[in-house]
Amino acid sequence: MKIFFALLIIVFLAFSGYHLTFRGIRLPLFARTFYLTGTEFLFLGLLLGPQFLNLLDEETTRGLEPLGTLLLGWIGLIFGFQFEMAKLRRFPFEFLLAAIMEGLLTLTLVFLGVYLVLFPFLSIAGPMKIVAALVLASAAACTAQTGLAILAPKIADRPRNTVTILRYISSIDGLCALMFFGLVFLFRPLLYAEASWIGEVQWGVSVSLGTLAGLFLYNLFIMQRRPESELILLVIGMAVLLSGMASVLNFSPLLTNFVVGFCLVNFSREKERVFEMLIRVEKPFYLLLLVFLGVNWRLDTACVFLSAVAYCLFRCLGKFSGGFLVTRLSPGLRQYPSNLGFGLLDPGGLPLAILLDFQKGFPSDITNGVSSIVLIAVILNNFLSLPLLNRLLKAKN
Amino acid sequence: MADLFQQRRNLIIYFLTLVLMGGFAAWIRGLDVPTSWQRSGMVDFCLGFVLLAAYIIGQVFRMVRLPLISGYIFAGIALGPYISGFLTRDMVHDLRLVDDLALSFIALTAGGALRLPFLKQHGKWIMLNIVLQTKVIFGAMSVFVILTRNCFSLTKNLPFHLATSLAVLVGTIAVARSPSAAIAVINECRASGPFSDRILGVTVALDVLIIVLFTLTLTAIKIILTSAGALDSQVFLALFLEMSVSIVVGIVLGKGIACYIHWIGHDLPLFLLFLAFGATKASFWLSHFMESHFDFYLHLEPLLICMSAGFTVQNFSQAGPFFMENLQRIALPVYVLFFSLAGASLNLDALRSCWPMAMCLVVIRAMGIMGGSWLAGTINRDPPEHNRNAWMGYLTQAGISIGLAQLAQRQFPEIGVHLTTLVMAIISVNEMVGPITFKWALNRVGEAKK
Repeated sequence: MKIFFALLIIVFLAFSGYHLTFRGIRLPLFARTFYLTGTEFLFLGLLLGPQFLNLLDEETTRGLEPLGTLLLGWIGLIFGFQFEMAKLRRFPFEFLLAAIMEGLLTLTLVFLGVYLVLFPFLSIAGPMKIVAALVLASAAACTAQTGLAILAPKIADRPRNTVTILRYISSIDGLCALMFFGLVFLFRPLLYAEASWIGEVQWGVSVSLGTLAGLFLYNLFIMQRRPESELILLVIGMAVLLSGMASVLNFSPLLTNFVVGFCLVNFSREKERVFEMLIRVEKPFYLLLLVFLGVNWRLDTACVFLSAVAYCLFRCLGKFSGGFLVTRLSPGLRQYPSNLGFGLLDPGGLPLAILLDFQKGFPSDITNGVSSIVLIAVILNNFLSLPLLNRLLKAKN
Repeated sequence: MADLFQQRRNLIIYFLTLVLMGGFAAWIRGLDVPTSWQRSGMVDFCLGFVLLAAYIIGQVFRMVRLPLISGYIFAGIALGPYISGFLTRDMVHDLRLVDDLALSFIALTAGGALRLPFLKQHGKWIMLNIVLQTKVIFGAMSVFVILTRNCFSLTKNLPFHLATSLAVLVGTIAVARSPSAAIAVINECRASGPFSDRILGVTVALDVLIIVLFTLTLTAIKIILTSAGALDSQVFLALFLEMSVSIVVGIVLGKGIACYIHWIGHDLPLFLLFLAFGATKASFWLSHFMESHFDFYLHLEPLLICMSAGFTVQNFSQAGPFFMENLQRIALPVYVLFFSLAGASLNLDALRSCWPMAMCLVVIRAMGIMGGSWLAGTINRDPPEHNRNAWMGYLTQAGISIGLAQLAQRQFPEIGVHLTTLVMAIISVNEMVGPITFKWALNRVGEAKK
């Protein structure tokens, strides 16, 4: 019975919160930062979880795992749909290079920072050390447009070019993060199964074959134009099927569905209709994701807060230096302010999806610690990003 | 010619898709899943597979002019624990969550499908049908079980009083129908007209009345078996209270939905799914809570709550058409899942073990329905075409019948196994045959538009 009520509470919170959060309620800036990023749902999840009310205990959370898998698949599909080549080509090639460079630089700096500086203090060792560093770096590299959305009414008179490049980079740099995150799953057999290079090759072939088969199936299904109700069924069915397949194969549902989404948006005639369907429940799903992460959040030691601050500093360093380098190295981008990184701090939903994927695939105490670090850093970044973005746009104006 | 070519092409595509999915499923199902993450992934994979496979099989059934839901049920049976074993019994049990969600949603649709002007106009017709069909079916089934108890291995060793109790229960459960199947077939055929409206009216109204009938039957059997029970006023009072509270809760929910549509209006399908599911689970919880904390048995009927909510929105607010339109939007995935899981949970072992008796009872029930509906139609002076075909619309049986059998099994364990085996076997046949005959009837009276 508890699982039913847990599900009800979660769905209700996601649904009601979605309406409160995304439906134009006017609030002061500080409160809007809190509400618009959905941060309150992390705390609600924490409250409902085993640390406080224990309404969502461990058994219940295990029972809800299929829903978590579906969530990840859905988010992966939506993210894949952002990479429509025809639309990306409308922007200068320098933009793409800038986004990739900024993403890679942040990844490298954060990876080195946590691996060489942070982890020795936290006594993390073994294969999990590199896995945790990869996850932290991937989560750090993502950027979202939430800040731009919050400031939307004010930025009508701001420099269009800066806003355009910020929007572009924040849509694209998640690609580097996701690719980097994919590497994490190479280490899964090392941690949970007997590892051999033949096994790794077999696993790689299995995942590729599974994804290919999924893509082929998708195409068979949407070969002919179908009524909306049938298309809804097919999209839900395929998202559930592929997410399940990825989990069974020890791979990421997020990444598998990202690849499928990418292929669909570029090679399918039905892309507009499928995307419309996916985006319809994007926000309730995002809030559900926050609740799930909140439930699994373990705040055991004060050391986590210090680590989160350090991680946050590495991320800021990566973003600032990334923004500086891309505007100085590329002649086409010199017109943009060198403090472009100020506008790239908003973390958004992708790092949270990465985190949930990591939690599900690599359950351990270290995972709990890494999750806490990322969650605290996400909250810190949410509050840091808005004043800095405001400053960047004002200075340019 | 072009149509035939298109149909062949579609058939080839569906065949290829099924073959690919079959290979894919065989491979994934064969993998070892040691961690809980992988196990939950396997449940997701199976759920997705069932959804897609049932959809394809439904489309193939439609090409050969059979109802879609027969295809979904067939897919469920083929993938279920008794045939291919793709879905294990544990998985089917785990997926009850989806089942409950779907059933609540279907009850909302059933309530929304009943329009007050129609009920006012056809109320007498519906009541007469219900009374006559109930009497004939109940009488025929009960008498048959009692008279032939020595002819079948299942009932041969039962003493007379137990055989009588079994007969009364089988007779009562045989009266139950499946509104969900009726709605699904009507939606699929885009049928409209007096014939389909009346059949839906009788089916939905019977779904409510069967709860009253069943409670009376349980009390009667208690008297037969223990001579401790008695038909006192408390039983009726409790029943009246339960139904009244359920209807009132449904009205309040319905008003809530109407307000939501009026003030907010968007994302209605999601909201309705949440609400229907919440109402169902909350009523189960309340029953359990009242019983465990206050020793007071108050069983709110979730189907009645959802039906009443749907009925309120349709008939006592401006939002009826918008409400129904939004329900239709997500109806397909809900139907596919519900009927394929219903197919997967059909007990084929039960059918195998008592098929001669079950087949006899299926025929007796069909004849009872035929007789009852013909009699009602003759008294009401229905068009002969309607009168000849009406019985075919009443054959389907599903969810509620299984629920009633399980409830009776818990109350009377001495005949529980016999009852569940027999009822499951009868339902297995009726659930497969019913949608086909209903679609056939709609075509014959000319109300099917597709």
